[in-house]
Amino acid sequence: MASFLMDGGVAVAKMFNAIVSADTLQATLDSVSVLVDECKIHLNDEGLEIRAVDPANVGMVDLTLEAAAFESYETDGGLIGVNLSRLEDIAGMADAGQLVHLELDEETRKLHIAIDGLEYTLALIDPDSIRQEPDLPDLDLAAHVVIEGKDIDRSVTAADMVSDHIALGVDATDELFYVDAEGDTDDVHLELDREDLIDLTPGDAHSLFSLDYLQNMNKAIPKDAEVRMELGDEFPVKMHFDFAEGQGSVTYMLAPRIQSE
Amino acid sequence: MEFAEFAATAAEIEGESADIATIELVAGLLADAGDDLPICTRLVQGRVFPAYEATKLDIGPKLCYEALARAAGRNVAVDDIEARVADVGEIGAVATELDLGGQQGLAAFGAGSQSPLTVAEVADELAAIASASGSGSRGTKVETLFGLFNRASDAEARYLARIVLSEMRIGVGEGTVRDAIAAAFDAPVDAVERALQVTNDYGNVARVARDEGADGLADLELTIGRPVKAMLAQAGTVTEALEDWETAAVEWKYDGARVQVHDDGETVRLFSRNMEDVTEPLPEVVSAVEDAVDGPAILDGEVVAVDGDGDPLPFQEVLRRFRRKHDVARASETVGVRLHAFDCLHADGRDLLDAPLVDRQDALDAVLGDADAVRSTFWLADDTERIEDIADEALAAGHEGIMLKDPDSTYSPGKRGKHWRKRKPDVETLDLVVTGAQWGEGRRATYLGTFELSARTDDGYAPVGNVATGITDEQLATLTELLEPHVTRETGQRVEIEPAVVFEVGYEEIQTSSTYDSGYALRFPRFVEVRSDKAVADGDTLERVERLAARQG
Repeated sequence: MASFLMDGGVAVAKMFNAIVSADTLQATLDSVSVLVDECKIHLNDEGLEIRAVDPANVGMVDLTLEAAAFESYETDGGLIGVNLSRLEDIAGMADAGQLVHLELDEETRKLHIAIDGLEYTLALIDPDSIRQEPDLPDLDLAAHVVIEGKDIDRSVTAADMVSDHIALGVDATDELFYVDAEGDTDDVHLELDREDLIDLTPGDAHSLFSLDYLQNMNKAIPKDAEVRMELGDEFPVKMHFDFAEGQGSVTYMLAPRIQSE
Repeated sequence: MEFAEFAATAAEIEGESADIATIELVAGLLADAGDDLPICTRLVQGRVFPAYEATKLDIGPKLCYEALARAAGRNVAVDDIEARVADVGEIGAVATELDLGGQQGLAAFGAGSQSPLTVAEVADELAAIASASGSGSRGTKVETLFGLFNRASDAEARYLARIVLSEMRIGVGEGTVRDAIAAAFDAPVDAVERALQVTNDYGNVARVARDEGADGLADLELTIGRPVKAMLAQAGTVTEALEDWETAAVEWKYDGARVQVHDDGETVRLFSRNMEDVTEPLPEVVSAVEDAVDGPAILDGEVVAVDGDGDPLPFQEVLRRFRRKHDVARASETVGVRLHAFDCLHADGRDLLDAPLVDRQDALDAVLGDADAVRSTFWLADDTERIEDIADEALAAGHEGIMLKDPDSTYSPGKRGKHWRKRKPDVETLDLVVTGAQWGEGRRATYLGTFELSARTDDGYAPVGNVATGITDEQLATLTELLEPHVTRETGQRVEIEPAVVFEVGYEEIQTSSTYDSGYALRFPRFVEVRSDKAVADGDTLERVERLAARQG
C-alpha cells in the first residue's frame, strides 16, 4: 500500500466509523506503544497509517492497516491523536475474536468505543501536541535476512543475560547471520545459517544496538511472524513484518550505537 | 542559544568566586540570550519553570540515573552511577565521565535534521517530561531524558544533569540574577527588584528590562491568580517594637499555614507559602472567601485547622489537609479549616504593596465588609501592658503568640525584615536572681560557672535552673569578679551566693520538674546579660514562671 502520510497540514479527521476485531486492534496498538505513549493516526479511504519515533529519536515505527482488515471502515480522511496506553487498556477489555466498534464524535472530539455492551468514551489528544512524525530515511542496506520472530526473541533473550548492547551482523563469506553480546565477564554468540533462516541475501554487515530498544520491538513481533531484517555496517536495522493476515504491516527502524569499544 | 554556549558560561560562573565578577558573567549570558532570555534567566538558577508556576520538574535521582545509564557506554548500570555519585558527591561531575552519546539518532541517517542542542530545546523537552502523566509516562520520561543526555557533550551533560535534579549549585542566587538583569540592560536595581516582587517571574522581568526599560518595569503589576512571595517576620520583643515604632500594630499569631487568597471577582484561588495551588484541598476557605470578599482582591492570611468546637488544632493538621487530594469532603468533616486574613495586597484594581500597613488594613476592611469570619484581629497599641493583655488573650484562645508590625511599613514580598516581628512566649526572657554557682574545671578553675538561677517567691527564692551556656571566657571573669564578694558558703566546688545579681536568661521552654523545689525547670537556659539596672526585688517571680509555663499549653 502506498504511503499517504503527508508532510504536515493534515486536517483533523471529522468522520471515522469502524468495526475491527480486538486481536487486530491490539496488535496494531502494541506495535506502536512499544516506542511511544501517544501517536497520530492518519485515516484514509485505504486504511490507517501510524508513524512515530521514540522521544530520543532512536527507534521508529511505520505501520499501516488496510481498510480490508476491518469488518467495516468509513472515514472522510484526516488525523486523530490518541493516548495509546489508554486505548490499549480499553482494547484489552475485549476477548480475542470480539469486535470493537470505534466511532469519532466530531462535536466533542472524543472516540466512542463499544465492546459488546461496554461503552467507553476516550478523549482525543490535539495532534499538534504530539511529537512530530519522522521522515523515513532512505537506506540502502546490504544484507537482508528473513528470520522467524521466535529466533529474534531467542537472540534478544540470550544477549540480555550478559549485556545491555547487542551486535547484529551478517558474515557474507560464510553466509551466516550472527548475534554478539559482550558482558563485563561473560559473552554470548549466536549463529544462524541458511538452514535456520527463511532467507538470506549476503552482504557484510555489523552494527551495535541498544538492547532496551530491541527488547521493546521484540515484544511486538509475533513469534511466528516472518521478519525481514535489513542490516548494514554501522547502520540502522530495519525489521519488517505483516500482521492481520497480511493486511497490516509494521516496519521498525533502529539507529545503531557507535562501536567505540 | 546553543546549550553548549550556556554550559560554557555556567562553567565560567562556577569557577568564579567573586560576587561582582559572577554578576558580570550572568549579565553577559543574559545580554547574549536573544529570544532565549527568559529561559536563560531560569536555567542559570537551575530552574526550568517560572517560580510562580505550579509545574514542577519532579525528576527523581533514580530516573535521572536510569537515563544516564542508557546514554552511557556499554554495561553501565543504574547502580554504577549511584555508586559514583556517592563517591564524587555530585551528579554533574559523574555525568561528564560517563562517555555519553554512544547511541546514534535516526537523524544521522536522514530521519529529521541533526542539530546541536539548544537551550530552547532543553527547556521544551524538560517541560514535556514534566507534563507526561499516566501509565507508561515513566518510560517516556526516561527516554526523553536519555535523548537529551545522548546528544550532550561532557560539558553540557554536567549542567544538564544538575538542572534535571535541581542541583545547579554554580553560586547564582536570586539576588545575583536580579543584579545581572540590572547590569545587562542598564536598569535600576530597585526597579528590577520591585518588578520581581510583583511578578515573581525572572524571565519576564529580564525581557521587560531589555525591551522596555525602567518604565516598562514600573508598569509591571500584581496579577490576580499569580502568587507572590509572602512577607516574613523575624523574632522580636514588645520592648524593642515600642522603642522602634512607639505604636505597634498587634495581631494574634496563628499556628497555621500561610495562604495567599486570589479572588478575581469570580474565581477564588488559594496558594501556599511555596506558591503551590491549594485551592482544592481547602473548599471551606474558598466558600468563606466567596461569601466575604467583594473582589477582585489579593489577601494574605493564615489558615488554621480547627476541631468540631472551632478550637485551633496544631499546625500539622493544616499540612495534612494541604496534602489531601482525595476525599476532601470527608477530611473537612473531621478537621475544619478557618482563614484569618490579615493583609491586603490588592483591592479594587489597585496594588497596595507600597501602601502603609494601616492603609492596607482599611482596604482589608473595605474588601471584607463586616465579614468578621475571615478577618484576623488587629489593634494599634503603644503600651506594654495592653500588648501583654492581647498576648494573653491570644494564648488563652489557643494561638501561638502575637505579631508586632510597624504600622507605617509597606509590604515587601519575600523579605524577612524588622517591620514584622513575631513574639512567641519562648522569645520572652526571664530576669532571675543568681543564688549559687560552681567553680569551674581545668582552665576555668579560677572562674565561677554554672550559675543557679532563682525566681522570687513570697518568702524568698526558688531555683528554676542552672545556666552554663552562652557565656564567653571574658564574661566568666567579669561575672566571677561581680559575684565572688557575695559568696556565703563553699562546699567543694559548689558555692552559695546571696541574692544580689540579676541575670537575663533565655530558654526553650519551661518544664514542670521535681529537680527543683520550685516545681519548674528551664529547658536549655542560656545567659543573655547581667541586668545591672535591676535590683533583686525587680527579678521575675515564680508566679510569672508559672504563667509562662501555662501559656505553653
